[in-house]
Amino acid sequence: MITSTSKSVILWGFVSIALIVLSAPTIVVLGSSLTAGNMITFPPEGLSLKWYAAILRATDLRDAFLRSVFVSAVCTIVAIPAGTFAGIALAKYAVRFEKAIQVYLLLPFTIPLIGSGIGLMLIFGNAGVLGQLWPVGIACCVINLPFMIWAVTASAASLDPDLELAAANCGAGPLQTFLYVTLPAVTPGIISGSLLMFILALNEFLVSLLLVDARIVTLPVQIYNSIRSIITPDLAAISVVFIACAVAAIFLLDRLVGLDIFLKSK
Amino acid sequence: MQDVTGSASPIAVSVRDVGMVYDGFHAVKSASFDLPAGKFLTILGPSGSGKTTLLRLIAGFQAPTSGEIVINGKAVSAVPAHQRSIGMVFQKLALFPHMTAAENVAFPLKMRRQDARTIPERVERYLDLVKLGGYGGRRIHELSGGQQQRVAIARALVFEPDLLLLDEPLAALDRKLREEMQLEFRRIQRELGVTTINVTHDQREALVVSDEIIVMDAGEIQQKAQPTRTYRNPQNAFVANFIGVTNFISGAVRSVAGSNAVLAHSAVEIPGIVGDERNPPRAGGQASGAIRAEQIRIAANARSLSGLDIVLEGSIRDAIFEGERIVYEVCVPALAGEALRVFDHDPVDHVQFEPGAAVSIGWNSRDVLVFNN
Repeated sequence: MITSTSKSVILWGFVSIALIVLSAPTIVVLGSSLTAGNMITFPPEGLSLKWYAAILRATDLRDAFLRSVFVSAVCTIVAIPAGTFAGIALAKYAVRFEKAIQVYLLLPFTIPLIGSGIGLMLIFGNAGVLGQLWPVGIACCVINLPFMIWAVTASAASLDPDLELAAANCGAGPLQTFLYVTLPAVTPGIISGSLLMFILALNEFLVSLLLVDARIVTLPVQIYNSIRSIITPDLAAISVVFIACAVAAIFLLDRLVGLDIFLKSK
Repeated sequence: MQDVTGSASPIAVSVRDVGMVYDGFHAVKSASFDLPAGKFLTILGPSGSGKTTLLRLIAGFQAPTSGEIVINGKAVSAVPAHQRSIGMVFQKLALFPHMTAAENVAFPLKMRRQDARTIPERVERYLDLVKLGGYGGRRIHELSGGQQQRVAIARALVFEPDLLLLDEPLAALDRKLREEMQLEFRRIQRELGVTTINVTHDQREALVVSDEIIVMDAGEIQQKAQPTRTYRNPQNAFVANFIGVTNFISGAVRSVAGSNAVLAHSAVEIPGIVGDERNPPRAGGQASGAIRAEQIRIAANARSLSGLDIVLEGSIRDAIFEGERIVYEVCVPALAGEALRVFDHDPVDHVQFEPGAAVSIGWNSRDVLVFNN
């Protein structure tokens, strides 16, 4: 009994430390955004929502936020068809060079973002589309697409291969089978993948930094620019809005498809 | 296209010299059989015998490497699966998880462009047929294993297919439910009169549900016959061994006269019947006598076994109580210590022999089938 008690004490100790370390930045940002003073401090000096009111009034922050949403939307809209077809193809068919493609899907973790960012900058520069917002969305999509493909592949790989044979047996041709059986069955993967793509694009900093100019900065770049001049609590407040967006996405994900698809596909 | 309507009883399915090769492996070797309309056929075999491959060829999921499959007089090799009129119940059921029970059953009707107004009534009728009336609105994961089976059956039958295929759908069920569903399959099949091909490795299921049984092994059809014939007159040693509990006593063939053959094992002469007339044993060759465990009688002494053709002394090596019967392993010194399995279904006075006990066993020579080794 004693050993099992001490074991659980130690386990819970580790879990608590991990939770504290993981949530510390969020708590600090949340705390300092609620300050009544004029400096970013933690713990906050008094409590107020005045910095939230301030970011509502700050048109530059609001515009940057809307630009980020636009970039995320472009990214997600492009990623849905591309990631869905690629994910289904990888999971269900013996694709040529499958191993090479799987290695390619690991690239986002291995190639420094600054490298791919510069590459994309050159490409878009040559095409003469720098200075517009949609290329930023495309760039975010290119860089994060493996996440979308993974989400769909995880969904498609867990499908019973007999499901499509059953559809054929029921009289469904190849197109009907895809529309009525395969696609609905991988929908959870598509939903979680798209939400992930949206959040990743919303948060994307480095690639945006390389591709935007002063007139069309996205929110993370706007925050970064502000920090370089003066750090005020409104930056903490806008960061909290960011975090709230992510939490909302996770909440949405849980309601729509459940979180087990992530918990299982780790 | 070939026409078979001229024959006396209509043939629903005709499999002609069908072979299937994967990467040099012969999954099915030149299988041929005819199945009359309305019959329930079971293809029985161990895993890897090619039975499921044959079923999938009939369903149209793959094209045979050689041969032709004819359904209702039409050669179907060039017909894709979704244009064949075949209902199938899959091993893992393959119900559509994002649809309700009723939507699953309605799916074949929608895909086959039936009049949308008649669909709900048809779906309800078939859910009633499988005793799932009122369950149409349930999602698949809200149904029990047995109920899911029934949805899969309704989905396979709702469009009134020419042929129903069952790909071991009962394998995963517990025994009680499996036996219940076997009788359900039989009932529904008789009620609708649909020609059915069932695939299983469960010999009991094959005997219970089928009009005819095909026994397959190593890609080849070993025997096609009615259940009683398959059990009582197995065509070869494989069938005799695969169905039922069979003892094989191997020995030299002493003599062969017509359908009678005599084996010699150690000092004992064992007369029997020639098992496979196309491949009869020859005097001087090696052969095996096959005898079912339930055809051997067991008693405390030889006097109780008078009237049997062969009576031998032995001792109990093991006794397994199975409830309705006791299975003995009896060591027989006269057969060089070979052990025979013997069923005792009605132990007199509920006496059970203990291991080591001296017993007599005996059988009739007509119950011994002699097969070439």
